[in-house]
Amino acid sequence: MNEELENELKKLRPVRPSAELISRVERALADAGETGAKIIRPERFRVNWLGLGLGLAAAATFLILARVDFRPTEKTKQTNVSATPSLQQKAAALPNYQATGLTQVVYSKRDEGLVFPRGAEGPSRRVRTAKRETFRWRDRQSGAQLAVSYPTEEVTLIPVSGQ
Amino acid sequence: MENVATHEDWKVCFSELAPGLVLFARQWVRSPADAEDVVQDAFVRFWRRNLSIKNRALLYAAVRSAALDLIRRDNRRARREVEVFGEAERSVQPQFEQLDDSQRQLVAALDHLPRDQREVLVMKIWNELTFAEIGEALGVSQNTAASRYRYGLAALKKTFQPQ
Repeated sequence: MNEELENELKKLRPVRPSAELISRVERALADAGETGAKIIRPERFRVNWLGLGLGLAAAATFLILARVDFRPTEKTKQTNVSATPSLQQKAAALPNYQATGLTQVVYSKRDEGLVFPRGAEGPSRRVRTAKRETFRWRDRQSGAQLAVSYPTEEVTLIPVSGQ
Repeated sequence: MENVATHEDWKVCFSELAPGLVLFARQWVRSPADAEDVVQDAFVRFWRRNLSIKNRALLYAAVRSAALDLIRRDNRRARREVEVFGEAERSVQPQFEQLDDSQRQLVAALDHLPRDQREVLVMKIWNELTFAEIGEALGVSQNTAASRYRYGLAALKKTFQPQ
C-alpha cells in the first residue's frame, strides 16, 4: 500500500521554475565572484610538520650536546636548605640562646570518624587537632628573648577495638 | 570541502535540482516568486561557501534557512501566507504540473499534512534524499525523519484512495 501511494506521489511532477531563475542565479554568482575576489581570507591554521620535526630534532641535539642536567646539584641543594632554615638550625646558629619554653594552645579538635588505614588490623578513629605552638629562647648573656609562633595541625589515629 | 562542480557545470546541477528545491521552498513560502528568490539566495550562498554540491543535506538546510529568514523579515507577509495558506494561491499557482482529479485530491491531502511531515515527504519523494540526509538538513535524527515520513504516508492514506 505504501509503495502504491509512493508511486502515485512520484507521478506528480513539480512545476518547473521560471526560465529567468537560472539567468538570475548566473548573475548573482558572477557578482558573488567579483565580490569574493576582493575578500582577503586569512590562511587556515595548519601544522607545519616539517618545521615541527626539525625544531624537536634541534632541541634534542642541544640537550644531548650540552648535557643539560636538571637534577639539583650540591650547590643548589645547599642554597635551598639555607634559604629555609629550620628552628633547630636557627637555634644552633645562636649558641648563646637557650630554649626556655614551649606553649601549645589547642583551638580546634575534630573527630572525623572511623577510618580503615592500609595495613592496620582494625579500624581507627581519626582526630584532627589544630594548635598554635610558641617556642621561646633566652640569651644567657644579654637576657634578650626570642619567641617563634606558628600554627600546626595534627592528625591522630586512635585504634578502636570492637566489644 | 572542495566544490566538485566547476563554474561551467553548475547550470547542469542547478537545472536538475531547481524544481525540487523550489517545491521544497514552497512548503514555507507559497508564492512561486518568493520560493525562487529563496532558492536563488540559498544556492548562491551555498556556492560562495565552496561547499560540495554532493552535500545535498547542507543545500536543503540552506534553502530552509533562507525561507525562514524571509518569513522572519516580513511578518506581515508571513501572516498573510498563513492566513491564505492555500486556497486562492494554491489553485492559481499549482505546485505540480498537469493534475488530473485523482492527483488534485492527492495534492490537497498533501497540503493538509503537518508541515514537519510534508517537508520530509517532499525531500524524500521529489528530491530523493536519504533519511540520513533529511535528518541532517532538518537537524533531527535519521529515525525521526523516517518516522515523520511514515506518519505522513499513513495520514495521506486516510484521506486518499488511489483509483
